[in-house]
Amino acid sequence: MIGLSSSKEFEAEDGLKFTSPDFQVGEPHYSPCLLLNEFAKQPCFLEMIKADIISTVEFNHTGELLATGDKGGRVVIFQREQESKNQVHRRGEYNVYSTFQSHEPEFDYLKSLEIEEKINKIRWLPQQNAAYFLLSTNDKTVKLWKVSERDKRPEGYNLKDEEGRLRDPATITTLRVPVLRPMDLMVEATPRRVFANAHTYHINSISVNSDYETYMSADDLRINLWNFEITNQSFNIVDIKPANMEELTEVITAAEFHPHHCNTFVYSSSKGTIRLCDMRASALCDRHTKFFEEPEDPSNRSFFSEIISSISDVKFSHSGRYIMTRDYLTVKVWDLNMENRPIETYQVHDYLRSKLCSLYENDCIFDKFECVWNGSDSVIMTGSYNNFFRMFDRNTKRDVTLEASRENSKPRAILKPRKVCVGGKRRKDEISVDSLDFSKKILHTAWHPSENIIAVAATNNLYIFQDKVN
Amino acid sequence: MEFKLEAHRIVSISLGKIYNSRGQRGGIKLHKNLLVSLVLRSARQVYLSDPCPGLYLAGSPVPPPQPGEPAAGPPAGWGEPPPPAARAAWPEPETPPERPAGPDARRAVDAEPAAPGAGDTLQGGEAAATAEAAWRRAEVPRAAAAGGAGDPAGGADVCPEGPRAAHRPCACPPGGEAGPGALSCAPRPAKDERPVPPPGCPRKRGAAAGDGPADCPAPGSSPLKKPRRHPEEPAGGAAAEEEEMETGNVANLISIFGSSFSGLLRKSPAGGREEAEAEESGPEAAEPGQICCDQPVLRDINPWSTAIVAF
Repeated sequence: MIGLSSSKEFEAEDGLKFTSPDFQVGEPHYSPCLLLNEFAKQPCFLEMIKADIISTVEFNHTGELLATGDKGGRVVIFQREQESKNQVHRRGEYNVYSTFQSHEPEFDYLKSLEIEEKINKIRWLPQQNAAYFLLSTNDKTVKLWKVSERDKRPEGYNLKDEEGRLRDPATITTLRVPVLRPMDLMVEATPRRVFANAHTYHINSISVNSDYETYMSADDLRINLWNFEITNQSFNIVDIKPANMEELTEVITAAEFHPHHCNTFVYSSSKGTIRLCDMRASALCDRHTKFFEEPEDPSNRSFFSEIISSISDVKFSHSGRYIMTRDYLTVKVWDLNMENRPIETYQVHDYLRSKLCSLYENDCIFDKFECVWNGSDSVIMTGSYNNFFRMFDRNTKRDVTLEASRENSKPRAILKPRKVCVGGKRRKDEISVDSLDFSKKILHTAWHPSENIIAVAATNNLYIFQDKVN
Repeated sequence: MEFKLEAHRIVSISLGKIYNSRGQRGGIKLHKNLLVSLVLRSARQVYLSDPCPGLYLAGSPVPPPQPGEPAAGPPAGWGEPPPPAARAAWPEPETPPERPAGPDARRAVDAEPAAPGAGDTLQGGEAAATAEAAWRRAEVPRAAAAGGAGDPAGGADVCPEGPRAAHRPCACPPGGEAGPGALSCAPRPAKDERPVPPPGCPRKRGAAAGDGPADCPAPGSSPLKKPRRHPEEPAGGAAAEEEEMETGNVANLISIFGSSFSGLLRKSPAGGREEAEAEESGPEAAEPGQICCDQPVLRDINPWSTAIVAF
């Protein structure tokens, strides 16, 4: 753990305030384990703050590691503490394991375009040896990183001394065999592959195939299939760019491989449709195998109908039987065998429907919320504004709104459900729609693959909540 | 009326977003701009289809050209589709004080047997497009009458006429519509003059402020500048296109009016080379300024400008 420090307030040059929160070690029982981006401790300027904004969160396949990417191109990996025998009731907490700069800002001289270093997505590969591998991507380049531990160091070289300086061979009188001695654990991240120059538009998704040999990267108009070993070639499997760009009507917004069938993937569009494609059907999967679309409700038609129907995230269930999509106001669960409508629709924040014009003005309507399944596919979770996030239990049809904030959460406290008051009389604990803070949005969340541990990114803070211990 | 105000406001905001997106880090976001252009189109359709005319736009000193035109009706020489649609569209943008007979005229027109497809297509956005078409035709004879020279393309048609709320008047020489003006007599020459935008014409756009200074660059320059060329381009080109159309296919009108530089020049005999340039300067093209120049975005800016002029 980084260490405890008291809360400090800094004022940046332009008057922007930010607070460096405490490092609080989380206790179980739904208490927030507040982990802080260490950069926030330094005196900040505007750029620094922006660099801290978390842009992606992802657990690895065992849940032991949690990776976050931020707007500054950094990746921070947290590792779960091993449960000790002494404190059997103390669940493992997540501590910083490794931090590295994944992407740097680049400049495309040919197009006079600056390429942002913001990490759009991180996807883990399943662990096959002692090292961990993850893919991280910005708008244009995907990188494969190897994160490995080093806890031994060779000592006793013949030709160089302990500092590494070469020794004069004339002074060597005896030979010895170098030995490995333990050292302080060092975690190093090295870029093993760089997959560049394959995307003209901005990459929005990456997805590792279940064959663990290939993965796909999707931008606004194309999806490419890569082999992990080959960086100078990729196959284009979807291309929706029209011959005449004036005829462009939709873009790809997210894509994902099926969790078990290595030939199947889905991609969502800005028009609210999902296409399922089978790579066995043809090399270029422009013709979908299945097409999921719900007819629009004409009574809800407004200027912004198209924007709010744009799908911001699509996720297969762990079982592979369902897909979940997130558009601006709802989360929908689709059965792969039924294309004409979703089997479940959950309203995330329907009270915003009457405020679409204001949300359009302040650009909030373009926010891309993600959605996640829990390990058993029984609960789905997604974020909202005011640092609220919502969970929907698919079986009981109950839902809850929770808040990720330091002020309202104390160690060992159980998270209190929140409620937004839509109109009329506001009750004591409710928040009215007009007092919602739209700058505090939870776009990225992650759920541990098997346990009830969730990671919630609230701008530049990461919250980890754990389930109550029995 | 409220819808109109709302629509206008939304259009202003949308154009502002598109303008600002050019300066953002990382290049223009195709997805966001596509969505903004869809909103722009919806708002424009509502704006133009709302029967209550833009009263609050009537602050312009320039008297709208409408009064003379509907009396003239679609000139027989036009012979273009859809005359009934055009007539029907005309009353819509007019202000009541100027056209008290407007609704009547429209009703009369509606009762007419429409050109194939025109009657069906007279709704919402269709009406918008036909209104635009109508306005181009309307302005052409007027411009021709003014006998201006030089400015071939739409820059002129957005310049002098019509009340324009909160828009800077275009400095184009008024009536400089040799191109569209020529249409009524000799359609082909219009095309030839189209590729060159009037160099001195400041770009006129919805409510996008700050566009003035960097206007009217040379043709074939960066897509950054492309939206600015549009108002100068399509009027002449579009007018030329109309001639070639068989029926009142409004969808065609929309796409033509919304054509980017490349779309226009594709029909122009001289446009091959520029078309290649423009095609290249799609989102992936290497151009100074920002890329991902979203054609649908541009398409929607232009018809809006002419629609503004229509009032």
